[in-house]
Amino acid sequence: MDVLEFAVEKALELGASYAEARFEEKNGTSLAMKNGNPEGLQVLADRGMGIRVLVDGGMGFASTNVLTRESVGEAVKKAVKLARAASKVRNEPIRFSEEDFHRVSYKVKMKKDFRDVSPEEKLELLKKIEEEVKATGVNVPMRYLMYSDQLWKKEILTSEGAYVKSKIPRVSVTYNLVVFENGQMEQAPFVQRAFSGGLELIERDEPWKWAVKDVQALKRLIYEGKRPPEGKIDLVISPEVAGIAVHESVGHPYEADRIFGREAAQAGESFVKPDMLGERIGSEVVTVIDDPTIPNSWGFYLYDDEGVKARPRYLIREGIITEFLTNREYAHKLGQRSNASARAINYNREPIVRMANTYLAPGDYSFEELIEDVKLGVYMVSFNEWNIDDRRYQQRYIGREAYLIENGELKHPVRRPILEITTRALWSSVDAVGKEVEFYPGTCGKGEPGQGVPVWMGGAHARLRDIPLRRP
Amino acid sequence: MFDINEFILKKAKELGFGDVVVLGYETNRRQVRFANNEITVAKNWHERKVELFVELEKRVAGTSITELSEENIERTLKTLLANMKGMAPKEDYYGIAEGPFEYKDIPETFDRAIVELDEPNEYVETAINAALEEGAKRVAGVLYTDHDRIYLTTSNGVEAFDEGTGIEISVRAFVGDLESGHGTNSVRVLKKFDPESAGRKAGEIAKMAQNPEQGPEGRFDVIFDPLAFANLLSYMSFMTSAYAAEAGFSFLVNKLGQKVASELVTIKDIGNLPNGYGSRKFDDEGVPTRETTIIEKGTFKTFLLNTSLARKYGTETTANAGLIMPHAWNIVLEPGDYSKAELFSEVKRGIYITNVWYTRFQNYVAGDFSTIPRDGIFLVENGELRPIRNIRVSDNFQRILEGIKALGNESHHIHWWEVSTPVSTPYVLVESVGITRATK
Repeated sequence: MDVLEFAVEKALELGASYAEARFEEKNGTSLAMKNGNPEGLQVLADRGMGIRVLVDGGMGFASTNVLTRESVGEAVKKAVKLARAASKVRNEPIRFSEEDFHRVSYKVKMKKDFRDVSPEEKLELLKKIEEEVKATGVNVPMRYLMYSDQLWKKEILTSEGAYVKSKIPRVSVTYNLVVFENGQMEQAPFVQRAFSGGLELIERDEPWKWAVKDVQALKRLIYEGKRPPEGKIDLVISPEVAGIAVHESVGHPYEADRIFGREAAQAGESFVKPDMLGERIGSEVVTVIDDPTIPNSWGFYLYDDEGVKARPRYLIREGIITEFLTNREYAHKLGQRSNASARAINYNREPIVRMANTYLAPGDYSFEELIEDVKLGVYMVSFNEWNIDDRRYQQRYIGREAYLIENGELKHPVRRPILEITTRALWSSVDAVGKEVEFYPGTCGKGEPGQGVPVWMGGAHARLRDIPLRRP
Repeated sequence: MFDINEFILKKAKELGFGDVVVLGYETNRRQVRFANNEITVAKNWHERKVELFVELEKRVAGTSITELSEENIERTLKTLLANMKGMAPKEDYYGIAEGPFEYKDIPETFDRAIVELDEPNEYVETAINAALEEGAKRVAGVLYTDHDRIYLTTSNGVEAFDEGTGIEISVRAFVGDLESGHGTNSVRVLKKFDPESAGRKAGEIAKMAQNPEQGPEGRFDVIFDPLAFANLLSYMSFMTSAYAAEAGFSFLVNKLGQKVASELVTIKDIGNLPNGYGSRKFDDEGVPTRETTIIEKGTFKTFLLNTSLARKYGTETTANAGLIMPHAWNIVLEPGDYSKAELFSEVKRGIYITNVWYTRFQNYVAGDFSTIPRDGIFLVENGELRPIRNIRVSDNFQRILEGIKALGNESHHIHWWEVSTPVSTPYVLVESVGITRATK
């Protein structure tokens, strides 16, 4: 705290109109297992401080991992100098929105503290995946498994009176499994299960069950999979597929820094313009929410990295664009208050506009009701390849596990159904949404240098009518 | 920092560790980001850290130490030791390289002028102005300057030092919402830095891309700009690591000695490439970096290896350690003999793709992927270029390499946000590339 106060005061003395100091410390372990061999232990112990300032309307940032007054003072000087120089290559000064600030402290509790658990016991989790996958009898010649835990401690102090101290533990298991049967190969790459909290969350989630389900589905796909139907059909997407679709085609294009072009050279721009607030983008059953405050979520936080209190953000409400994701800089440009979307992945990165946990809000259909009047359709359960253009408009998702729907019933698996569609067509085609919400973890990439932040993506099942489905 | 390295090595040996690698870094990095023709943020990073790798009876572990007091170093080593004692061994671990080695200076990798550069904003303004002069309305991008010192000490007799600098810029220029172009320039010595060319190329392509029509789908001969093909080769660089192959992330699995590309294709990793953005004198175990031919005239010759993986497969290291995961330094696709104009005249009806991003795989081992052209895309018909938009490359990696039918005669060194492993590549003409688009 002392060194944070010192940094903020020194920045103001040197001429900053705004200063923000952020201390972060991350401690944790990660373990990998490749084809049954433990790959070694990685111990993470990282800490340092980042200082962001505004001087004459220019923004500067500097960080240091040497936490002496001398070194922090040097970093502050650099940040101020850079901001002042940057202000000379600006058309208009950067300003921040007015906000209410708090002095708060919060933490996520661990029932089973991973710091008290030995690496060999953590490795047992991966061994359990190995054993359960082997017990299925499916031939899985390539198996890459990873376990990771980290305790994130953070303290933020700003010259406008925000002080936020937080402690968030995060645990995850990731796998890549290659199934080889009958001379054919199918793959479930980078499947992750991840939470904010203690080891009990992984144990309760039982990642080995997900792995078993995946390899069995891939084996069935190899032996029973047929070509998917082509042309206009109905498509039911699972919470996992709905999750990637809301993340890519709703969350990203609603990031205000993108809308205003700040990310243009890297993560891209947006088809959404500021005057599109209030415009219809989807059908009336489509509501998309981004909520950092979901307990134990992978994207969890209660205050953002500018010290603003978090809340659920309704990006689309009943088909209408209602809100963008903003930090203080872009909230000011929009004449609004920030909705606490400023996140930085580490002390050596600037906070930028990010998602947290983005999901398609539930409707009132059971799964059976969603498929019962589908004459010809496909149920896409999981996906592999996906991508979207840099305005977030033309996207594609290719099914990994997927089934034919015929006369209201699920039939045989289908191979690689391809949904390649525009954002507006996608969300306008949804005519019914399921009752149950599920979440899936991901790492959202943005910023330069890259900042991969933990997010959940998900939602309820959704039914899309008259979709031009493709096949390879 | 060698005194710190020595201290860590001594303490590690006292505690009973076997192989020990201590890799110290002192880095100074500066960044200027810009968008809408103005600077959005300027940053500075100064960091001192040690990356540590230790082995104890075939159990391996690693960590970074950023707090370099003797007390913290001893505490870290004891923590590693305590954690490793009950662990299962990595049965396929076969040790690190035996030093010492001799190292040669790599030309054009250090320039004091970059260390002493006070203020790089003028280069940003040069790039922005060049793009605006070509007709762009909005210009965005990033400039970096780098100064790195690396200190390596290993338990097998290596003590090695390297110092390098770099300066690079990436510029994206826009005329309207749908019309953009991109240019980059990455060099290790200041006198070779050319931000103007990056800005000018971005502006030129954006101007040419005006009023695009919806693009077609089907199979087309495609000319990949070096910026676009570097993206694909950067993904391939990961797939050439033996580690990626074992983990199921490579289409090169089980293909040693086989033909995986057109005969025109020779791909190398050159760790000691003069003026290469990824060049370094030695790998993470101290082996002097060198040139390794990965694909020679279409035939797959070797995965990239460290000492342990090389011994596992009964061969020699390729000087690409990463102690756990070998990786490429600078990927080089050897140029061919076509001038840019000759290459374009080869195409009766095809597509010129200036940049791609968001390359994602359906299946890594099969190599099926798609990637999105970004910035100017052009239909090429009898030497004329017509701007198009909204298409996707959907194909297979090996098929793309096999379909290469002509290579430009000039190499371009590419390194930017989407191409994290530097790639040198010419213009590349590939026949019959799968192109798709959204139909609703």
